[in-house]
Amino acid sequence: MSGFSYLIRALAGRDRLTDNDRALIETLPHRRRSFPKGAQLVVEHSRPTESCLVTGGITAREVFLSDGSRQISAMHVPGDFVDLHAFLLKLMDHSVVALTECEAVFVPHGELLRISEQSPHLTRLFWLSTVIDGAIQRAWIASMGRRSPLSHISHLLCEMYLRLQVAGLVEGDTFDFPISQPDLADMLGLSIVHVSRTLKELRQLNYFTWDGGRVRMLDYKRLAKLADFDPTYLNLIQEPR
Amino acid sequence: MPRYFIDSSDGARDVEDDSGLELASDRAARSAALDALADMVRDVLPDGDHRIFSVNVRNATGGELYQAKITLEGKWLEPGSEERDSER
Repeated sequence: MSGFSYLIRALAGRDRLTDNDRALIETLPHRRRSFPKGAQLVVEHSRPTESCLVTGGITAREVFLSDGSRQISAMHVPGDFVDLHAFLLKLMDHSVVALTECEAVFVPHGELLRISEQSPHLTRLFWLSTVIDGAIQRAWIASMGRRSPLSHISHLLCEMYLRLQVAGLVEGDTFDFPISQPDLADMLGLSIVHVSRTLKELRQLNYFTWDGGRVRMLDYKRLAKLADFDPTYLNLIQEPR
Repeated sequence: MPRYFIDSSDGARDVEDDSGLELASDRAARSAALDALADMVRDVLPDGDHRIFSVNVRNATGGELYQAKITLEGKWLEPGSEERDSER
């Protein structure tokens, strides 16, 4: 699939796209770039002139404190227009990093400006994508502040299972999720040792397996119950926007 | 970076670290162990009133490097308080 087909898939999961919408997206001028694990796609305090869209791998938004500690505030999968933010923010307040090997396409801001002037519908859908980013952020804050580590990790896995399903990246019941325990710890706001303890406990329940960077979902229903997972915030409904 | 192994117990479940962590120094290993201790306490409280949480750091050659414990000692101060609380 080309980069834009993931985006089209993500948007089409939330609204019906017209042929004109599709054509506008598919003909967007762009450049493709690959990133090794750990590389930054967007750098904090920079002024990007392009917005990037993840087309392969998993990226994250990261915030660093002056003591060097890091919080990962979001994860993004193929189809996420991860850096639509920069189009309006101008000056970046955070970085976007490749948690795995990644591919992304970069679209010049001038082209996004053109879309916003030519297609109110696509503009609303791009707006929707940042609103969904905000909804996911709320769910993460609730998990971080109030869920037990066991249900927090379960919640995250349920979320990624559904988001990767939207992207068409779940094969049967299995998906690539090569996220390291230090990265998970920075995402969950927990120590690495406690993440490892909790994962061991969770594995014993046999709701999923997670080996060699691949997750196999064995019992989504039970995992979702343990996580108290309500997917409303992912907005997986196709309706006019 | 050297590899450290951090065993941990929340008083109910002992976990031996069989994979280890690469950390910058002995001090970083101590910090990682104490972070884990704090997480365990927050995770399982308020289950029970008597509990010992502990962490133990080993280095790659099996040497014991650091140990820390937190003890919870909780008690009701009036006879029957626990029963009254559960009736609310």
